[in-house]
Amino acid sequence: MAHPHKFVRATLSRMRRSTSGRLAVGAVLSAVFAAALAAQKTTTRAPTAADWAAVAKLPDFTGVWERSGGGGNAAATPSLTPASEAKLKAFQASPPQDAETANCLPPGMPRIMTQPYPMEFLLTPGKVTIVIEAYTQVRHVYTDGRPLPEDPDLEFHGTSVGRWEGDTLVVDTIGFSPLTEIARGIPHSGRMKIVERFRLTGPDTMVIETTITDPDVLAAPFVSSSTLTRHRNWTIAEYICEENNRNFIDESGKAGINLANPAGRPPAKE
Amino acid sequence: MRRALITAGLIAVAVGVVSAHHSFAAFDTSAEKTISGTVKQFDWTNPHTWIWVDVANQKGSVDTYGFEGMSPNYLARRGWTKTTVKPGDTITVTYRPMRDGSNGGMFMTGKLSTGQVVSMSGLKITQ
Repeated sequence: MAHPHKFVRATLSRMRRSTSGRLAVGAVLSAVFAAALAAQKTTTRAPTAADWAAVAKLPDFTGVWERSGGGGNAAATPSLTPASEAKLKAFQASPPQDAETANCLPPGMPRIMTQPYPMEFLLTPGKVTIVIEAYTQVRHVYTDGRPLPEDPDLEFHGTSVGRWEGDTLVVDTIGFSPLTEIARGIPHSGRMKIVERFRLTGPDTMVIETTITDPDVLAAPFVSSSTLTRHRNWTIAEYICEENNRNFIDESGKAGINLANPAGRPPAKE
Repeated sequence: MRRALITAGLIAVAVGVVSAHHSFAAFDTSAEKTISGTVKQFDWTNPHTWIWVDVANQKGSVDTYGFEGMSPNYLARRGWTKTTVKPGDTITVTYRPMRDGSNGGMFMTGKLSTGQVVSMSGLKITQ
């Protein structure tokens, strides 16, 4: 496929000679179109002055934003399918004493967005980057018009594309690692989709409305919202969880703190 | 009553933040202990700060206690720096002890010999 256009022309020319070939033309064109889009994903072109001028006209998301009311998502409760409800009940009957975050595994989506630590938004041509202080994480939201991939790799933050609807940044995300959860004891299925709507509601106030759908787990879309406050004099701090982590949860679900080697490095995990 | 309210407030602050990383399962959050000693080391590190305190024991030597605090990002926004607590400082610590009885727990407040009281919600001078 070094010269895709040449290949396509030759193939189409052969196919037009037969009826069944004509039917196949559409399929080939679709495949080529998909390949072109896939290729587009890895293409970054140099932004022009006009691209930067367009960014300057977007709502001012710059700076460091902290979620009000600390972490968690206590206000909203998801409505579950009977099977997921039963799974949650079983989880709650004998819950592990802690989550894998105690071992420094970041929570991924959607829970990384409700941590009690701040985040920063970087708007550049074709992309919004969300720098998240908790666990030193980053989300990449492509706003260059590319579609979501058909079969994405499963990642902690999924794969995101965004678009501006007026002054609202709308982000669609799919393809999540099975190690992430909708909430404690509520794992997602492969069909989870998250739509986030980010908009400014004041000079230093932002609201994120999040809608999670997952037909295998949720009986209804799970809608929640966060209010963030901008701190113009803050910078994002480092949070390398593995630096000096003495907390742990073991495979049986028991949590603990390792006080061995006081005032030194914590012992390496077995 | 006021003390109870302040304590409740500190727990609320602590729960909101530490829960980002780990649960309180290892601490006896219904108990509060106080201990005095000399700071051996202050780890200004993630995911938690640790204050290590040498406490004299009855054998004529010292036991080293470890106290887990909030992370540097959180504390720095409340006035702490990496030298707020220094090796050699004498300190009286109130803490939620470890459930397993080992030497240490969750740091609540520390009173330094300068009269400064340091807590997870910030710094203040009392005298």
